[in-house]
Formats: sequence, C-alpha cells, structure tokens
Amino acid sequence: MIVDWLIVLIKIILALIWFLTLTLYLTWVERKESAVIQDRIGANRAEILGLRILGLFQPLADAIKMIFKEDFVPPFANRFLHTLAPFLSFFFVAVTISAMPFGDNIRIAGREISLQIFDANVTLLFVLAMLSLAIYGIVLSGWASRNRYTLLGGMRGAAQLISYEVALGLSLIGIIMVFPSLRLQDIVYEQGKLLFGWLPKWGLFLQPLAFLIFLFAALAETKRVPFDLPEGESEIIGFFTEYGGLKWGMFMMTDFMEIIIVSCLLTTLFFGGWQVPWLGADGFHFPWGWDWLLPRWLVVLLQVAAFNLKVFFFCWFQVLVRWTYPRFRYDQVMDFGWKLLIPLSLFNIVATGIIMSVIR
Amino acid sequence: MIKLLGYFYEILKGSWITCRHFVVNMWFHTLWFLGIKTKRRGAVTIQYPEEKKEIAHRHRSLHRLMTREDGQPRCVACMLCMTVCPSECIYIEAAEDPDPEIQKYPKTFLIDLSRCCFCGFCVEACPEDALRMDTGKIELATLNREDLIYDLNRLIG
Amino acid sequence: MPKITIDGQTIEVAEGTTILKAAGQAGIEIPHLCYHPAFPPEGSCRLCLVEIEGSPKLELSCSTVVREGMVIKTQSEKVIEARRSVLEFLLAEHPMDCPICDKAGDCKLQDYYEAYGLFESKFKEIKEKKDKLVHIGRNLLLDRERCIQCTRCVRFLLEVTKTGELGVFERGIHSIIGFYENEPVNNNYSGNLAEICPVGAITDLDFRFKTRTWFLTSRPSICPLCSRGCAINIEFHKGLARIELGKRVFRIRSRENQSVNKYWICDYGRYSYSYLDEGRIAQPFQVINERRTNLSWERMLFILSEKIKSLRIRKRTSRIVIVLNSALTNEELFLVKRLFIEELGINRIFFSDPPDEKGDGFLLTAERVPNRRGALNLGFNLNVGEEVLKQDKIDLLLIFAAHLAEIMPLGWLSTLANQIESKFLFTSRESGLSRHVDFVGPVTPVAEKAGSFTNVDGLNQSFDPALNPWGQSWPEWKIMINLAKEIPINLRYFGRLNSPETIRKVMAEEKLNFSVNP
Repeated sequence: MIVDWLIVLIKIILALIWFLTLTLYLTWVERKESAVIQDRIGANRAEILGLRILGLFQPLADAIKMIFKEDFVPPFANRFLHTLAPFLSFFFVAVTISAMPFGDNIRIAGREISLQIFDANVTLLFVLAMLSLAIYGIVLSGWASRNRYTLLGGMRGAAQLISYEVALGLSLIGIIMVFPSLRLQDIVYEQGKLLFGWLPKWGLFLQPLAFLIFLFAALAETKRVPFDLPEGESEIIGFFTEYGGLKWGMFMMTDFMEIIIVSCLLTTLFFGGWQVPWLGADGFHFPWGWDWLLPRWLVVLLQVAAFNLKVFFFCWFQVLVRWTYPRFRYDQVMDFGWKLLIPLSLFNIVATGIIMSVIR
Repeated sequence: MIKLLGYFYEILKGSWITCRHFVVNMWFHTLWFLGIKTKRRGAVTIQYPEEKKEIAHRHRSLHRLMTREDGQPRCVACMLCMTVCPSECIYIEAAEDPDPEIQKYPKTFLIDLSRCCFCGFCVEACPEDALRMDTGKIELATLNREDLIYDLNRLIG
Repeated sequence: MPKITIDGQTIEVAEGTTILKAAGQAGIEIPHLCYHPAFPPEGSCRLCLVEIEGSPKLELSCSTVVREGMVIKTQSEKVIEARRSVLEFLLAEHPMDCPICDKAGDCKLQDYYEAYGLFESKFKEIKEKKDKLVHIGRNLLLDRERCIQCTRCVRFLLEVTKTGELGVFERGIHSIIGFYENEPVNNNYSGNLAEICPVGAITDLDFRFKTRTWFLTSRPSICPLCSRGCAINIEFHKGLARIELGKRVFRIRSRENQSVNKYWICDYGRYSYSYLDEGRIAQPFQVINERRTNLSWERMLFILSEKIKSLRIRKRTSRIVIVLNSALTNEELFLVKRLFIEELGINRIFFSDPPDEKGDGFLLTAERVPNRRGALNLGFNLNVGEEVLKQDKIDLLLIFAAHLAEIMPLGWLSTLANQIESKFLFTSRESGLSRHVDFVGPVTPVAEKAGSFTNVDGLNQSFDPALNPWGQSWPEWKIMINLAKEIPINLRYFGRLNSPETIRKVMAEEKLNFSVNP
C-alpha cells in the first residue's frame, strides 16, 4: 500500500517537473521563435559565469525577477480573493496534467505501473471539468481587483471561455463515439490499431472536422492571440492588470501551461497519444510485412519520446499561430464560436452517427 | 460563405509567410551555429555593445572645444551658444584676457549633458568655430549626474 | 508755429524745432548716433540725413530747424542710399568684434546696420590699429578702435558735469578720444558715459563681461539711495534652469524723467545694487540663544499680535517702541499712523535715519533716505530721537529697518537689548542686529515692492515692483495690514486695504493731499 502511494508521489513529482520545466522553457521558445519569425535574435543576454547558451538562462532570470518583485495588492482590492485568483487559475490547469497518459504501462519489479498519475474511466471529462474551472481564476481576478476595466476583462474572458467550452465539448463527442471510451488511456490504445490494415487509426483520420473544431476552440481556450480579448497586453486592459510580481507570473505560467495541456489533448485525442505508427508492444510491425522486434524498455522509451515530440510540435505550432495573426474583434470571436464552430460540431456528431450506423 | 473561405485562405497565407521566415531564418541560424559563415544571416539585429555600426559623418556627438596654436580655447565667451541653446545646458563665465586682441576668454565653460538635446545649434551659432560636435563619442552614460557636467578641461581634452 | 510735411504727414511744431525732433513728434524715427537730446547738435555722424524738397543736397535733420511749409522725406531712395553709405564709412574702421563687445544688443550702430545697412564690405584695407584697453576713469574702459568720434562723451562732460576731462585729440582717421595726463574722468556721473556711448567704445568695468545684454530684463523703478528719487531701470537676469547665478541684478541704468533726473543718474546710485542680492534673508526666523528657528509669517504675526494684545488688555501700549526710517513709502507711513498711533495709541515712535552725508550739488542729495519729505508731509516729527527709549520701560520693540539696517544708528540696541522683553526686526539683509533681537522678518527693498515716495523737491512718485520678492520677503505694508487683521483691529477699515493702490485711494479719500506722479 505504501509502495503504491510512493509510486503515485514519484509520478506526481516527475510529471510536475516535466510540466513546469516545459512551461518555463516555453517562454524561452516563445521569445526565440517570435524572434526568428521576425528576423530578430531574441533574448540572449542572460548569462551565468559568462555562459550564454542562446539565452537559455533567460527564463531563470525572469523567474528570479518575478519572485523578488514587490507583492502589491491595490488598496481598493479585495485582498483575499485577489490573492486567491492566480492560485485558482494555476491549480486547475496544473491538475489536468495528472490525467495525461505519457506512455504504455511498464513493469518494474513485477509491478504494473501506468505512465499516468490519475487513471480513471472518466479522465476525459475530468480534464474538461478542470479546464472549465479555470474560468474562476479569471473572473475572480477581474472582480477582486475592484477596477472597472479588469472586471470588464474578466467578463470578456468568462464569456469567451464558456462559449468555446461548448464547441470544445461537442467536438469531442465525435471522438467518444469513434473510440467508445471516456478513458484517455483507452482512447490511446484504440488509436494504436490500424485502419485498412496500414493507416494508423488516429483521431485525425477518423474525425478531421472534429480536429479542426477542437483546434480552434482550444486556441480560444488558451486566451492567446488571436483570441486574447480577456487580456490584450498592450491594447486592452484585461483581468490581471492589477497584478504584479509572482502573482502576475502565475497567470503568465497558467497561459503557457494551458498551451501544453492543449497540446497534450491534441496529441492524445487526435494524434495517437504515445503511439508510434506500427509500433506494437514488442516492436515494429510494418504493413508491408517487415517486423522489427525491440526490447520492451526501448518500446516504452520510443512511446514516451513520441508523445513528447508531438506535444512539442503543437506547442511550436501554437506559438507560430500567436505570432502570425492579428486579434479578432469581440463580435467576430462570438460569431465564430456560436455561429460556426457549434453548428459544425453538431453536424459532425450527426454525420459521425450516420456513417457509423451505415458501416455497422 | 465565399467570404469566409477567403478569410481562411488569408489565414493560411499568413501562416505560410511566418513559417517561411521561421524556416529560412532557422536554416541560416543553424549554419552560423555550426560555424558556416554564410553571407546572409538569420537576423538583422546588430548586437550593440559588441558590434557597432559606423557613425554617419554628419552626426552630432559629444562637444569639443577647439584650441588656438597656443593651446588656449578659441572660445571668446560671446555666449551666443548659451543664448541659442534651447535646453539651457551651457553656462559660460567670461573673464578679461590681458591680450587686448582677445579681451575675453571663458573662465568657466560648462555643458550639462544631462540637459543637452544634441540639436547642434551651439555649433551653428559659434562665430569662432570654437565648438564642434564631432568627437564620435555617443556613449555618455554615467552613474551620477555630476559626471555629465563637462567643464573646460574635459571639453578641450 | 510752422506747418511742415514729413513723409506725407502734415504736422505743426513749435518755432525753432529741429527736423529730427519734429519727426519724433510725428512718430517717425530718423537714425542718429551723435545727436543726444540733452546736448546741442554736433552733426558729426552724418547718419540723420533727410531730403528736403527744394534743397539740392541732403540736410542734417539734427541741426536743421524747420521752416514753414517744409516738405521732408526720410524714406526716399536718396536718403536710404546716403544712410547706407554713411554706415559703410562708419564701419570702415569699426572692428567687427560684436561677439566680445559688451554693447552688442544695446548698440545703435549694430541696430542701424541691421535696419539700413546690410551691405558687403568693399574695403580691402587693413583697419587702423588703436589702443583697445584705455582706462579713462574709475569704472570706464575706452576701446579707441570701436569709437566713431561722435563726441557724446566729450559733450556730456562739458555740458552736464562741466568738468571737461575728455577731448578729441589728433585729426582725421587718427583722431581719438583722450584726456590730459593723470586727469582721467573722475566725477560722480562717469557711469553715464558708458550709457550714452552709442557704440561699445566706452564700457563699464562693473558690467563688463558679466553677462550679455540680451539676457537681461529691464524694469522701471526709483532709486532709493537718496532723497532725489531718480528714475532708474533695474536690469536683471531671470536665471538659468540648472545653474545658480548667485545674483539677479546686473546693472542699473538711468531712465528718462525730465522733472527729476533728465537722463542721468549718479555713480552712487548706479553701482550700489548689491544690497538687492547679497546677504538677503529668505524666511522669518526666531533667535533663541543665538540659534535660529525658521517660522512662517503667519506664525510670526500671530506671536506679535498676541504680545500686542496682551499689552493692550493691560493698558500698557505705552511700553511699545517703534523705530521707523524714511525709506518707508508714504503708504506704509500712513499705515503706521493709522494703525500704531491712532488705533493702538502708541506714541513712542521715532525715526532712526542714517546720518546725512555730503551731496554733490547735482542729483545726489545729502539725505541718504528716499522719503524724508513724505514723512514730514504726513506729520511725523523727525526731531524726536532716542530719548523716547528712556521714557518708560520697554516691553515690545519693533524696528523697521528696510535695507538700511547696517547704516541706521542703532548702537543703543546692544546696551538696551537685555531690558527689552521682545524685539522684532524687519529688515531685508543679514546684519549684526539679528544678534540682539528675538524675531527677524525679511522685508522687500524698494525694487521689490510698490508704493510712492516724496522726493526732496516735494514731488510724489509711485513705483511698481521691478523684481520678484526674495524668498518669503514681505513689503512692510503687507506686514502692517496683516497684523491689523490678526489682532484684529478695525477690520472695516483695514480689511479693505490690500495693496498700495487701495491705501493710496484711502489716503486721497481722507484728503491727505495725495496726487502721485507715475
């Protein structure tokens, strides 16, 4: 029993280390990628003992700066809620990582260990629920600052997130219909199968429309350009205007963590999760008949690496999107969500149902 | 609907542009990182304190006071620069020179660079060509304000 | 009364008027350098040439008297051409050292070149070398190269001071202004030479190289240093943004006032201006055991009014002594009369003026205070002296010292100081007196306040402040009015007084014979 607890604890620690390090370096990726896109060099000055290494110490410098900044609460704000808001945001996003399957089960010392912290039959719903709870952080911060503009920012954020939550949820119904499970690990297992004997049975190929809808809705969920109406740093006063220092930093971290979570979800639901095409539990079985048997540990390693690579790709992709598009107007955001994405996702459900019943 | 599709077309076009920039710049960055010095570089940035651009020959930089053959400043303390200075950063105190041909020389000549806006009017106003702004010194930052008040010695030197 | 036409304008002028003066009356300025209204015309600069219809050549407007029906042109092509030529000749030997010339900005030659000259020099010859630094007097320096031989200085010394130290020596291009050996200009009006010199030939050593004329702002005032009340202009620097100049007033120049000083002022009045900037007190303070504590005026007047009130309730106002001086304006003396004498019943008041010195028979008078006649007119008895100190015990002493604290005969203060309970001094500058008193309030000297003086000839002249008050200096009338309001005394009367003008109005209402010449 204690060993079980210990295993869970170790898994939590490892997952958080992975998650937070990735978050930290995602800020570096964002700065560097935007710089490369704009023919610049980007932050490269932070140095330790004369060592610069492409500015890799920049996130550390930023973190140190934010930690040592004054923790200021405006005198007119509600002190308790103002402090609570960033922690709420941060917590609900951080907790979703527990449902992400990093790989297949491994066997250590006769014990079956799944590479997932929280394995239940409703993990997909759990992730959706936690993501919707993150709205509370936004609304609370806007409201507790007791500033009309932050309140408006918080309201915009709530409206936008709730609108896109609908499309997000509806688009996933198609996936649930195809892979009849709410367990993320099961969905990933399903995607390991082959279609027509050669095509990996990824969500992307079974549900292309759902993928697009999910992508747009998820981008809107991250509250970044082009959907950054809740907080357009330079132009619109948004919900965390009255924050500074580490609390502001937590909002910022939450943003980047959401990117990673969205990438994880995209990977898990539409790109086969940790599945490598044609890689079974004992090695590669190529459709043209070749077999390449591999030891178990190498297979697991490849799977974890594949998951990471896919997640990195989607992180990169989201940063690219953020540095490419201008912001939507607010009515456009609402139109896009309610008039395009939701009807499309409903159509997708109906179409999926019809096709599935026809095939059966 | 067509309008909507056109919108998506533009979105894709935008992605293509940023992607192209990313890939091309990344390619040259990688080449440079590996030590292959191509003519083109990944970024147009000039890494300022290490790399410096050449200053244009008609630039205006730190002032200097010109001297006569005997090393005395050419300045006759006519205070025209002080008069024309829009930021009131020049202060001159005149004194009687024993030479009747010179008569007036600056006992004190202060330029407060913390106020100076480098407009160059003082250079234009000077009837003796005693003041020039061609030293090429543009990095004038100091840790205290007093160091920015340049006196006669520093202006000649 | 001949009628003449100048530039198409017909005017009637008095018999014997010169064309230049007649043009001045018509509002037309004819350029001139050697002509000065105080002297008979000389006609040496040839700049004031005008065209007279019927006359074959151009005439000198400064010395030609108008005749009936004269038609004069001052802007005709011929005149303008003549002016250009004259200027070219004047500048042929004039050095181009305007940047180091103190006169630049005030220089009439410079102005006229800008207005009528603007030619390229045709002369290739090297300019004549002459002495550039000749000390011709205590405060005067002559630059013979810059001199255009207008002889204004020579004529001034002949006509006004009648001393005649300077003369023109040599001839033609070599002619110079000079003096006989060991007999330089040495009279009390030498400063005027630098002022009337139309170019920068004679410069004032007191002002030389201190600043440039265009930095200075000129404001009219009245000289308070003797009872003549000469009209002066105070020229001061407004200050620089970051650098402290240490002084505001750079020079004092005369202002034309035909009924008092014509165009001149004496050297005593011209060079004694340091009292405006040096050793000024910026804030009221209290002296306790030789240590100073700054107060606000409100606090100080509160303390003073409390003392007066307590003495008044105990019917001991006879123990208050007020020391005045004749540098107070008529308005202030009037307030002294109404407030201290009539309302408070203080009768131990005496004037402590500096002793008379020798006058010079022209402008400088023997009385070195500006308003003794005004005090007499208001009914003060100036013969009362220090004997009032000994009449009774003194509980409260008020000394109004203005700028005179150092020269007022207040020697008795050091011996009596211990016996007096509280002593207030109102003065503008630091002096040894603050050791002996308890409270010191800074007051504005004449240049910083408004008011009026009655000069030695009985002429009332009003003046406005030329400078801003130094620090928290207050004029004496403000102290008195605020004191009356603080106590309070007869607010219906003192409440409506808030400036020298209102006080003057009240004085006129009360038939105190106050018509003031501005």
